[in-house]
Amino acid sequence: MQKGLKLTDILTTVVISIVFGIVYKLWGPFYYFVKPFGLHIDQLIYGMWFIAATVAFLIIRKPGVALLAEIAASSGEFIMGSEWGLEVLLYGVVQGLFAEVAFAAFRYKRFDVFVVSLAAIGSTIGSLIMDFYKGYIEALAPWNLALFLLARFVGAILISGVFASSLVKALEATGVTQLVRSASKEDFDQLNR
Amino acid sequence: MRLDSYRETWLHRTNPSVKLLVMIGVFFVVLFLHNPNVLINLSVGLLLLFFLYTGYPMKYLVLFFLPFFVIFVSTASSMTFFGQGTTTWVRWGLVHITKESFFRGMHLGFRALSFALLGLIFSLTTRPVYLFYSLMQQLKVKPKYAYSFLAGVRLIPMMIEEFQTVQNALKVRGADGGGIVNKMKRYAVPLLSQSIRRAQRIAVAMEAKRFSDAKNRTFYYQIGVSRYDVIFFVWMIGLIGLSYYMATVFPYFPVTDVR
Repeated sequence: MQKGLKLTDILTTVVISIVFGIVYKLWGPFYYFVKPFGLHIDQLIYGMWFIAATVAFLIIRKPGVALLAEIAASSGEFIMGSEWGLEVLLYGVVQGLFAEVAFAAFRYKRFDVFVVSLAAIGSTIGSLIMDFYKGYIEALAPWNLALFLLARFVGAILISGVFASSLVKALEATGVTQLVRSASKEDFDQLNR
Repeated sequence: MRLDSYRETWLHRTNPSVKLLVMIGVFFVVLFLHNPNVLINLSVGLLLLFFLYTGYPMKYLVLFFLPFFVIFVSTASSMTFFGQGTTTWVRWGLVHITKESFFRGMHLGFRALSFALLGLIFSLTTRPVYLFYSLMQQLKVKPKYAYSFLAGVRLIPMMIEEFQTVQNALKVRGADGGGIVNKMKRYAVPLLSQSIRRAQRIAVAMEAKRFSDAKNRTFYYQIGVSRYDVIFFVWMIGLIGLSYYMATVFPYFPVTDVR
């Protein structure tokens, strides 16, 4: 057994993430189009920027994939010239790290909606830590801050948790995920029958 | 992001890794900067770098700059309208503008602007291929990661083409209606599954051609460090120093800390 991720895993993760990198880039204009409506409605769609980590992990199911995916997606967004510039790269690293922690907490053995939502919450916390330094969010009026936090958490769970896992279910139906996943215990049981 | 009509400047010749590291350094300086006077000076300096030395025609630069203005306004507005403060200027319904929240809002706007400029200067003056070769040679990033990224970047045009194919196919079949979730899935599933298959094929092909992670490998592009890197480093340090100096000698506002 080779230690760490193999070339196939890395390449697949990076390529999937670059698809999401394009989505991340296009999400920017959408985000500031929604923003003028005020009252933090924009925060409901913020969760899209965490989706690469959860989807890539659900597809490949290996340690380190979530972090790599989020870094790859954000650097894809960065190279394409994001409106936020350099900060997307560092947000990506922190968000990926916190998603990774959520998956590691279950020793990379659980792939259900609950764990994925937990990873989405993790990424949200990561993004909030960055916002705390960058955006002085603690200086918002209390009711406004509460609304801001609620919208971001709910959006993240819905998009990067629930939607991501239903997306991967649809991908599993195409059979393509079997190309990249390592053989599971059920597969071996099938052989022993 | 690159367009064909640019002339090469010294910013294009700086080493991508050095450029990235210096910019991350400036990023952290800006992150922990709470004096709006310094930040405004710094943003002006970056703006000069952007307009003078990225080597693109002015009309493109202005076009690139437009979305930043929106970011500036949108970032500044929430904090200005809803931030906490003691010296009230305007109170209108939920909106409560105070002197403190106004300066904090402006500060955030300039901060977003300088982050955006750092990123845009980098992506306008760096070829992705050189960036990843330089990351392997100067920062010792493992080749299997760097080449995966290179392959991924190379696939972007193909993905965009595929996206258009899916779009047309759905239109022809009259299947472009429905809710937003279903619509997103209809695009995401074919695009992702094709990407996975393609990545798989590339990986197999690379390994069949004996791609290895060996330490002492050779590179098609040799990327080195030159005097342009020194110029870039000195430019940034000088800018930060000058911003602080000017802010103490000629401050624009009497505010020195927006927190």
